[in-house]
Amino acid sequence: MSGQGTATVPADPLTDKPAGQRARTAGRPRPPTRDSGWWAAVLLLPAAVGLLVFEIWPTFQTIYYSFTSWGAFGGHAWSGLENYRTLIADSDVFHAIVNTAIISAISLLAVPLSAVVAALLSLPGMRGVTIYRTLYFLPVVTLPAAVALTWKYLFNGDYGLINWLLSKVGIDGPHWLSDPATAIFAISIVGVWGSIGYNMVIFLSGIRGIPTDYYEAAELDGAGRVAQFFHITVPLLTPSIFFVTVITVINSLQAFDLVYLMVGQTSPAITRTETLVYLFYQRGFAEHDGGYAAAIGVLLLLATLILTAAQFRLQRRWVHYG
Amino acid sequence: MNTVRRIRRRLLSLLLVAPLVAAAACSGNSGSGGDDEHVTLTYAIWDQAQAAAMKQIIQEFHGKHPNIDVQVQVTPWESYWTKLQTSVTAGTGPDLFWMTMVYAKYYAAGGGIAPLDDQIKKSKLDMSAYVPAVTKAYTFGGKVYGVPKDVNGFGLCYNKLLFDAAKLKHPDDSWTWNDVVAAAQKLTDPQKGVYGFVAPEADELSWYLTVPQVGGQVISPDSTSSGYDQDATIKGIQFWTDMITKYHVSPTLQQTTDTDPLAMLTSGKVAMRYCGSWEPEEIAAVPYGKANIGIAPLPAGPDGNRNYYSNGLANSMSAKTKHPDQAWEFLQFLGSDRAAEIQAKTGTVIPAYQGHADAYAKAMPEFDLQVFVDHLKYAQPFPASTDTAAWRDAATKQFADAWTGKAPVADVSRRVAETMNQALAKEKK
Amino acid sequence: MAESAKRRFRHPIAHLVLCIGAIFMVGPFLWQLSTSLQTFGESVSVPPTFVPTSPQWSNLSTVFGALPFGRELLNTTVMTIARTVGQVLFSALAGFAFARMQFRGRGVLFAIFLSVTMVPYQVFLLPQYQIMQKLGLLNTLVALFLPGMFSAFGTFLMRQFFRQLPMEIEEAARIDGANIFQIFSRIMLPMAAPGMIALGVLVVIWSWNDLLWPLVVNSDPRQMPVSAGLASLQGQYTTNFPVLMAGSLVASLPVIVVFVVFQRQLMSGIAFSGVKG
Repeated sequence: MSGQGTATVPADPLTDKPAGQRARTAGRPRPPTRDSGWWAAVLLLPAAVGLLVFEIWPTFQTIYYSFTSWGAFGGHAWSGLENYRTLIADSDVFHAIVNTAIISAISLLAVPLSAVVAALLSLPGMRGVTIYRTLYFLPVVTLPAAVALTWKYLFNGDYGLINWLLSKVGIDGPHWLSDPATAIFAISIVGVWGSIGYNMVIFLSGIRGIPTDYYEAAELDGAGRVAQFFHITVPLLTPSIFFVTVITVINSLQAFDLVYLMVGQTSPAITRTETLVYLFYQRGFAEHDGGYAAAIGVLLLLATLILTAAQFRLQRRWVHYG
Repeated sequence: MNTVRRIRRRLLSLLLVAPLVAAAACSGNSGSGGDDEHVTLTYAIWDQAQAAAMKQIIQEFHGKHPNIDVQVQVTPWESYWTKLQTSVTAGTGPDLFWMTMVYAKYYAAGGGIAPLDDQIKKSKLDMSAYVPAVTKAYTFGGKVYGVPKDVNGFGLCYNKLLFDAAKLKHPDDSWTWNDVVAAAQKLTDPQKGVYGFVAPEADELSWYLTVPQVGGQVISPDSTSSGYDQDATIKGIQFWTDMITKYHVSPTLQQTTDTDPLAMLTSGKVAMRYCGSWEPEEIAAVPYGKANIGIAPLPAGPDGNRNYYSNGLANSMSAKTKHPDQAWEFLQFLGSDRAAEIQAKTGTVIPAYQGHADAYAKAMPEFDLQVFVDHLKYAQPFPASTDTAAWRDAATKQFADAWTGKAPVADVSRRVAETMNQALAKEKK
Repeated sequence: MAESAKRRFRHPIAHLVLCIGAIFMVGPFLWQLSTSLQTFGESVSVPPTFVPTSPQWSNLSTVFGALPFGRELLNTTVMTIARTVGQVLFSALAGFAFARMQFRGRGVLFAIFLSVTMVPYQVFLLPQYQIMQKLGLLNTLVALFLPGMFSAFGTFLMRQFFRQLPMEIEEAARIDGANIFQIFSRIMLPMAAPGMIALGVLVVIWSWNDLLWPLVVNSDPRQMPVSAGLASLQGQYTTNFPVLMAGSLVASLPVIVVFVVFQRQLMSGIAFSGVKG
């Protein structure tokens, strides 16, 4: 890292030499810099080495670990497919997959909600946009741990604000976070709350990219705001919607903080809220079964790849690139 | 453009400063390694309420051994064992730490904590000074793996205000299960959101106190098979679930998960709770609790039996400590008469070092702490095997169904026995 | 600005909807603030207490007494700065190489980078932990940030950014005899500042909030960031709501301040990653 900071640039004669050997692409339409070779290597080195050491190699190592069993205080031995056999039979894994899917599904609720918010903020002559934007964005920048503790209190069955408000309209609210039937919804609502701001910003910039004459033309045709939203904004926003959807699903796959902090291992609702990453942490670091945790990690990897691939295939059906 | 430039300048200065900050921050904590003269030990505990007593012990120790610094690390119970095992495995863990009977054998067998016999012999530490049951619980294969720290007694914490308001006689040593139920029924007031009793699903603070009272057992004395399928054990557990599902005098499992049962007691939401000898300090920390909570002897079983499972802590030394000699010095001090005195006087725990129970009992005049001391004579060895956590956590998870009334206690308990026997069979491999 | 907009209040329904939404978004913060100054009794009273009768500042001192909170805030700051500087710098260098240089194996290498962005980071966790252990870095600040200094996603983002910069200036500089490093540092980097800020802001948020890695790698409270500190505050004060809310408030305030200051850059950063990602 220290070497990169120096601003003084060495004299160029040296640098031209290796570049000359490598510049075999002179004929390409947009010839990038010619004197590349060595410099490219130098520029790429930190990122490449970092990724190799901390991400690429660990990926293969995790795959290897998934075929091993671990001792309580260190050491591991090859155990073949045993972890995967346990994995298939493990009811916790099954729960985790279902829970993760439910969280993803509910989290997607944030997509239309934030699209509406962005559309409202983009109305011509709308005032107070900056203030609204700031307020809606606040949850995105708030420490998830703090968010979790605050919502946990709000959701408290006896002393939480939410149940008190519900009682005002005659509803006897449940113990949201410790009731197996409601906990996952409570967590997902917090997820939605936390992601509206992020999505909104992306949609805002997407809407800004839509030419105003579309709306003007629609107005001449007598289309109302709502009709404009569905017939112009939504179709032309599909690339952003697609992006946000992908991000939402991938983030939901990684859900951990809220389950760890709002539910926890001793809650009766844990089997109905534990996610794959939570299970990964629990098995790998709380119960010190690294081999099994690695197998869960591989499962997570496969799930991510499959879902991403599926989304990109579906994309062709409905995303409208203008 | 202007702001961009400004930010760029700021970023640039960050860029230059960051490595310095990082370097400075890192060098701060790695400086204590090399020299043999001055050593810093780390000592891990999980109870914030006891941190003050521990710090006082350290201070006095440091006065006698100026070359040895000790840092206390408080990690809450929920993550204590996760972190401890991870860090001990990695060789970065604390040099000394609190151990419970639940994990002792696991750490001893796995090579996480060191046998102390050689040091005990060399420095002629008198092990007979400690409550024998505790020493025994930390002895495996004839080797001692921990210096006993404290013992736990239990009592019935009750809200004097609520008892008086209901015109009920305060609990005394004549009470048995039936008295608890009868009083709880009278004290429960759904209108005010007040419950007569609280029945959390927390083994050590719930059925570990009642199962022995009816002659049940959690694990066979030789630690090879589960006792959860015995009728007596089931009866001891049912005492708790009945409070919720039959008599409706206790908050539900959902409620006790949402809000700490001790907080319910100290805010006047429940009138009675079974309490441990380490808890009065926490109760006194809340003004309402200090003013209105009384402590009575733990109600006996239907036949007057008062046996209970008692967990006592010990201080253990990491098998991977880099300073075994200094660590032993401190461990010895932790096990000393003086350290016991300090702890007793704060009223946080009953020391395992015998002869300090009176000091503990007098530590907080607002409470009758003698109750806990008197309870000690009924202590039974805490249920444990090599990998206690494996079946204990599973049991806690499964019993939720009985607490919520989803399944009869007997069914759940037999199911738990099955899981537990499988886990025990796995241990033998 | 159009005068008509000033003259009359437009879109009342939109404002109504947005206001209701805003209450939902901000309400929890106000509740947190109010509770952080209440007594425990007030926090569990029914009906709830909205305004504390006498502000309990002692909740704050309880938080700072239970945790080395100041130290943890500093840890988080160091972790965030190091990760951000590392990711932005290394990603800019590599992104530039991918966008503007021709070299053998570029396609393959870029494909590898791209595929790394698909791997969920939990997959790296166990081996990263072991690397830290082998380097003797467990329970140090360095462990908190070292693996987080490199990012395939950041490289990808910077590549997209460099690709959209005009070629002309670069070519003119080349004709003037500037070498590649000069072009990079004196011409491209300044032009790429918005992109770097965008990435930087994303990394700041992600770093500041990270919980899983610190939970795994550091067990000493003095070496933890504030996110893990809050988790252990909950362990100690299970349901002492005023203390927990005071801790949450203190922990989230710094980033909210940073957000308010850098709001525009942050928003444009996110918008950019959304369009080009």
